Amino acid sequence: MCTKMRPLDITKDRSELKTEGFTVKSTLKNSVVVGPRAAGAFRERPAKPTAFRKFYERGDFPIALEHDTKGNRIAWKVEIEKLDYHHYLPLFYDGLCETVHPYEFFARQGVHDMLEHGGIKILPVIPQLIIPIKNALNTRNRQVICTTLKVLQHLVVSGDMVGEALVPYYRQILPILNIFKNMNINSGDGIDYSQQKRENIGDLIQETLEVFERYGGEDAFINIKYMVPTYESCLLN
Amino acid sequence: MSCAVLLDGNCKPKSMSRASLWTDEIENLYRFQQAGYRDEKEYRQVKQVELVDRWPDTGFVKKLQRRDNTFYYYNKKRECEDKEVRKVKVYAY
Repeated sequence: MCTKMRPLDITKDRSELKTEGFTVKSTLKNSVVVGPRAAGAFRERPAKPTAFRKFYERGDFPIALEHDTKGNRIAWKVEIEKLDYHHYLPLFYDGLCETVHPYEFFARQGVHDMLEHGGIKILPVIPQLIIPIKNALNTRNRQVICTTLKVLQHLVVSGDMVGEALVPYYRQILPILNIFKNMNINSGDGIDYSQQKRENIGDLIQETLEVFERYGGEDAFINIKYMVPTYESCLLN
Repeated sequence: MSCAVLLDGNCKPKSMSRASLWTDEIENLYRFQQAGYRDEKEYRQVKQVELVDRWPDTGFVKKLQRRDNTFYYYNKKRECEDKEVRKVKVYAY
């Protein structure tokens, strides 16, 4: 009695039975063993409603939308320097999971402004940022991953010791980067426009890991390598 | 009489031209005009402030308070792209 693996397109013989491997059914003569289902590592996982959206709709954020010529600025009702970073920065990070306007814009731009003007106030908040970052990456939504990677790059250079402070959290952040690291199109000699727009996830991940290594101190590389085995150092050799 | 003397009075510009090349000055004018002011003079008149917040290394304007008292924050690096340069107005007093 033997069960051969045969291609799936056999529909001529109606008596054939499709079945999974290693089952009793698969030992039948007329059974055709199909391959295992996809695990769905790349499948998007819908995000839960974010706290950012709730707070925004309730009007808790000291921000207003301004339509300028480039359409990319937040008018802050309070000076950023006076904001409580422990409260607001994790909330804005929570909004990174959003994909619809205006939440997506406010979260992205709010994080950008707070990082740009935060200085020493950013470092103590880092432990609170890890879960929102992990959630955002876990959505596996291409747009969200792109935004989060750019935010991560900005975060690392936003203040002294921030890069080093992130090293213990690589275990939370890097698994998704490992999954998507090879997500690059081999277009031959064709033009891949996502490169120009900085939307190519494979390239962005490589950039991000390099920034992590540069700013993460001496333990950074070995920790990155542990989570992303295909990463090669940009500093050694 | 130069306008610097008349800082507290109404200082109206005599002429206006468009910028053609990007410089540090044009970058700063761009930032003031984004916030709804002609230039630094007008900003200091309206807001009655002595100094404007600037980035230490580049000298670009960092933070401006708009007429409705909200704040605009600007980046360390250049924001005024080449295609925006022509939109910047340079006022002469």
